[in-house]
Amino acid sequence: MSSVLAGLGVGLNAVVAEVFQVAPAAALPAWSKSSSGTASESAVLKTAISSVAADLDRLGAKSDETTAEIFEALKYLLEDESLFDMAVNHLDDGWSAAAGYGMAVNEFAEMLAGDAAFEERIADLQDISKRVQASIAGIHVGLELPATGAFVIVGEDFSPADTAQFTPAVVGVITVKGGPTSHTAIICRSRSIPAVVSVAGADHIPAGTSVLVDPVGDRVVVGGSIADATQALTFADTGREPLVQVRANIGSLEDAEAASKTGAVGVGLFRTELLYLNENSQPSVERQRDLYASILAAAPAGPITVRTIDAGSDKPVPFLNMPEEENPALGVRGYRLIQDHRSFIEDQLKGLEAARVATGREIWVMAPMISTVSEASEFSALARSIGSFKVGIMVETPSIAALLPDLAGIVDFVSVGTNDLSQYLFAADRMNPSLGALLNPWQPGLIRTLERIASQAKAAGIYSSVCGESASDPAFAVLLAGLGFDSVSASRSQVDAVRAALSAVDDDQAKALAKEVLAAKSAEDTKSAAVAALSAL
Amino acid sequence: MSTFESTVEVIDPIGLHARPASQIVKAVKESGFTVQIGRKGENLVKANSPLMLMALKIKTGETLAVTVETEDEAAASALVAQIQDFLKG
Repeated sequence: MSSVLAGLGVGLNAVVAEVFQVAPAAALPAWSKSSSGTASESAVLKTAISSVAADLDRLGAKSDETTAEIFEALKYLLEDESLFDMAVNHLDDGWSAAAGYGMAVNEFAEMLAGDAAFEERIADLQDISKRVQASIAGIHVGLELPATGAFVIVGEDFSPADTAQFTPAVVGVITVKGGPTSHTAIICRSRSIPAVVSVAGADHIPAGTSVLVDPVGDRVVVGGSIADATQALTFADTGREPLVQVRANIGSLEDAEAASKTGAVGVGLFRTELLYLNENSQPSVERQRDLYASILAAAPAGPITVRTIDAGSDKPVPFLNMPEEENPALGVRGYRLIQDHRSFIEDQLKGLEAARVATGREIWVMAPMISTVSEASEFSALARSIGSFKVGIMVETPSIAALLPDLAGIVDFVSVGTNDLSQYLFAADRMNPSLGALLNPWQPGLIRTLERIASQAKAAGIYSSVCGESASDPAFAVLLAGLGFDSVSASRSQVDAVRAALSAVDDDQAKALAKEVLAAKSAEDTKSAAVAALSAL
Repeated sequence: MSTFESTVEVIDPIGLHARPASQIVKAVKESGFTVQIGRKGENLVKANSPLMLMALKIKTGETLAVTVETEDEAAASALVAQIQDFLKG
């Protein structure tokens, strides 16, 4: 008997092996007060910290150098003196050792919050906190993986400390939660371990069952054999130019240099916020001109599409003073910053215009998070008053996606950010590991919205492009061309793969593929329709 | 006991993040000195806790005050040089 569980694939190779279920750790006891006093509770805490430190040493000793460094860094956090002092303050208030340590960790997590550089450290701190509390409660949290044999390990999701313990016996990974950008997915991709994430029901596969991990097919087949694995698409080199232009996404000078070594025609998305995240005061127009000029000069030949700053309270720019928000994804971000920071956005455009003049490059500018036609007209007028740019907007909000015909004569181009458009269309937080399946770009709800954007843009005489993560998937890029987009922009590592796919099809074939995909009614069916059409070429 | 005062500049592109913070604390502990670090004119923190240093959220390009409690000026200035090295990224 074989049954199929859908998920999101990571990597191109399939594997068949027996399932090893990683049992979820028992719940930690609720925090409580203790009557034994600070001296006795702080002794308990000290013992627990030493015991966790010994565990980390033991794990470090049996791992490679990079992994050992991860455990050493965890140990530094574990044994931090101020953290201990803060915990002791809570013990003085009568809390138990586990509660005091947990509270102290939460306090530090709060102090470090809101800074992208510390996000992973906060996760590490909470991992440490869990280990200390579990040690006090006598609960086992360590991941005990077989050292020999070959297993597909199945768990809810895996933390950095967990993935660091993956032994050579781990030949495949399945997680119930987590999306395509989760820590587990990133590690499996870099270590070439076949994985499928976001697989509902995977925790019910009995241990010892043989499964096929089929990342290309975005599925796990219980009882499947390697012959059932979906083959990765390969495209013959036709020597033709791609059906639509393929541009590159960049965010730094290093990206620009790397992108110019690919076949990319210009840049479809230059994320500018990276240039400002480390600035404590608003950089002068001259400094911005110099920064931009060096990157523009290094970028691949062709037009360069620059997105004005896309910061928000979840990725704050120090000198813009962004107050914390309950819901940063729905807050004052992107172009909405003009409310309080008009001079910054004007200076950014002035710096770009000066860099354009200095380098002689063709610059397209676009604003993120536009949701009304009046915001689009305001940005268009502002940008045209400052420089000789082609002017456009990002299409990320469902409201502007519904207003494409009204943008005629206002903007020269639109570029769809599929990651954010999915988040807002499906009301699914990109950061929530339980919602990965809704953010799958093959969802029919997204694809039909894209179809409408492309056809309405064409009717309005507006050039259209897609620069979201989805355009880096060669099969999806062919779909986008078939839907009528004029160009796609891919991450630099994917530019050549996307070019190969778009060179292998002609206009009629791409349109036929899009028609098949538009008729499908689930994310699984849209993707299989595209793969079937491409395999038949 | 007198206090040796100096400054260091954060050159690391990610600012004062986890790795330099841990390196600084390690060097300070090995030296046996009481060392304080922070933004000039603000409250300094004791450099015995990587978390406290990280919580200052110091960014690239900031200049930091460093104080070392010691009579041994040569040893203190060697320690400050070491701290500066960790902040080069």
